[in-house]
Amino acid sequence: MRLAGISPDRIPGVAPIGAENLAASCTMGSRILTVEDDERIRTSVRLALEDEGYDVVEAESGEDALLAFGQDPADVVLIDIMLPGMDGFEVCRAIRKISDVPIVMVTARADTHDVVAGLEAGADDYLTKPHAPKELSARIRALLRRVRPTEPGARQLVFGDLEIIPDEGVVRVAAEEVHLTKTEFRLLVELASNAGRVFSREVLLERVWGYGYFGDGRLVDVHIRRLRTKIEPDPANPRHVVTVRGLGYKLQA
Amino acid sequence: MRSRWERLGLRARVALLFALGGLLLSVMISVVTLTFTRQTLLEQREDAALESFNFNARTVQEQLTEESDAVAIRDLIESLSTPRGEFPLLRVDDLWDGRNTTRFNQDRVPDGLVSFVEAGNAATIRAEIDGVPAVISGIRLNNNTRDADYYEALLLDDVESTLSSLGTVVVGASAITTMLAAAIGVWAARRALSPVSEVRLAAESLAAGELDTRLDMPADHDLASLASSFNGMATSLEDRIERDARFASEVSHELRSPLMTLSASVEVLNNSRDALPERSRQALTLLNDDLTRFTQLVEDLLEISRFDVGTASLQVDSLNLVEFVRQAIEHSSRPDTMLTASHDVEELVIAADKRRLAQVIANLIQNADKYGEGDIDVLISTADDMVLLAVEDEGPGIPEEERSVIFDRFSRGSAGGRSGYDTGTGLGLSLVAEHIGLHGGTVWCEDRPDGRPGARFVVAIPVGDEVLEELE
Repeated sequence: MRLAGISPDRIPGVAPIGAENLAASCTMGSRILTVEDDERIRTSVRLALEDEGYDVVEAESGEDALLAFGQDPADVVLIDIMLPGMDGFEVCRAIRKISDVPIVMVTARADTHDVVAGLEAGADDYLTKPHAPKELSARIRALLRRVRPTEPGARQLVFGDLEIIPDEGVVRVAAEEVHLTKTEFRLLVELASNAGRVFSREVLLERVWGYGYFGDGRLVDVHIRRLRTKIEPDPANPRHVVTVRGLGYKLQA
Repeated sequence: MRSRWERLGLRARVALLFALGGLLLSVMISVVTLTFTRQTLLEQREDAALESFNFNARTVQEQLTEESDAVAIRDLIESLSTPRGEFPLLRVDDLWDGRNTTRFNQDRVPDGLVSFVEAGNAATIRAEIDGVPAVISGIRLNNNTRDADYYEALLLDDVESTLSSLGTVVVGASAITTMLAAAIGVWAARRALSPVSEVRLAAESLAAGELDTRLDMPADHDLASLASSFNGMATSLEDRIERDARFASEVSHELRSPLMTLSASVEVLNNSRDALPERSRQALTLLNDDLTRFTQLVEDLLEISRFDVGTASLQVDSLNLVEFVRQAIEHSSRPDTMLTASHDVEELVIAADKRRLAQVIANLIQNADKYGEGDIDVLISTADDMVLLAVEDEGPGIPEEERSVIFDRFSRGSAGGRSGYDTGTGLGLSLVAEHIGLHGGTVWCEDRPDGRPGARFVVAIPVGDEVLEELE
């Protein structure tokens, strides 16, 4: 069964997402928590997302959002950075402490430090205001995709002291389990799917985030940085996730 | 109306005044020198001439006798001493004879002097002989035996030649003095006006957009007050421009929230479009179109105000140019655009801001699509260390006189609105120019090189080898 009304139209900067990922079960009924202080935006976004088949929970402040999330965790959280009181970065960090839920930051501008700060606070992706609701649901869909190991038979991938079990979503470093967010995990599995091969930022943007050629390379860079702090003994001198100058990143044992 | 003198400029005027002063002074000194020298020289010669004349007159008076015939008179004349080349001339009765009668003879003696002397006097006068100044003296000889006068002329041609060579030297010296004065004038003017040229340079850099240009405070308090009022002006100008720019930026920013609501609400309406009556559907179409345009306008305004406020910064990445342009064309309003790349750029990697470069390509293609006709071609080549990216259309082209203003904000040229409903924001090409300028490149418009009608927009940006090395 295909969901009506979400055909991957031409949206600038957003690559069409493969049909297999559009399975209704994937998005139908998913809970979205939107944190936005402007009531009009909140309501209109809720209406648009409900049309796409999502359940939407609204929060008008960071404090409300944490409360709502604590009561009933959402599948995706949408946070506006400019919030009165607790700002978007703080909300993001607070949620990240208790959950690996995908988080989308809504920033005013793409070319500010806000983007990097939001990603470093733990966001998985970002959008600028104003964005088309179609763009928003495309982002949400990309984040809700299930992780698919490229080799279905591979139950366990081992790189020295790094061990990945894709089907279970488990990563161990020196036999100790490490907790990754869904996006970090997907990035790692993508790199592990073809160990030793160099992945350009464009390829990673497309495979992990579903962006086309014009995605923001900072998404990859910040996520690689976050990944390193979790799985590398010395993140400043990475052994596993290595930068290949001018080309991209690769995973090695 | 400004006189010609004022139009010359302060520096030239000071130099000219110095030169004139120098000339006047040297001419005065020359005239005084020449006059004084001439006077002195002439007096000396006159004194000497008079001495010789008196001596010779006495000799003639003593030796002229009753028996002296023409031959004796000739001998007498020859015997006279003429140390400086004086010319003796003797009249005895009706006989005139002299040492050199071709240069000095009776006709050369002024009539006044002759009659004066014949009246029994002695006299010395200055006269000219053949254009040469001379001193002519004459005396009636008190010799009872013969009726005789004695004349002597001294030609002063050597004095003249001395004076003329002295004159040459003086004129040369005057010329040198004048030029020296002019040079000093130029130097002094430049020195005195150097604060003025500093102000000029500062004003030029302000005008060029360097709003933080300020003058250093000079020690001289006359100039310090000029500098401080200049700096005050620059500060208030900077504040004002920044306020204006910030205002545009803030307005655009404030528009984002209502646009977000609009965009989400319109989407909700779109979702139930089929359930709407025909008239509402029409209205919704209009709403959709103008919302897209409005959003783009706000985006463009924000983008351009970032250049005005000075917060636009490059986010440089290395990118494979041809692949990048190919992708940009695919995402543009005309994915059928033909891409032609010269052989040497095929694997070229350049340093550029992807977001901005993508917008440049998208805007140029959109522009060609809107105002041009037929196929659109994108051509990539290199020249020196620049990458040239040309977008050609088959439209009517851009008239020569519009080519420089077409990159101005909200300027759409004569082709604007030609395609009926204009969906452009009027900022597309000025954003192209700003983005390219930020990359250190240039953009211009020209005729198609193949001579066919149509416009050709060319973007030239540096490959950025140093930046690429840094990125590595």
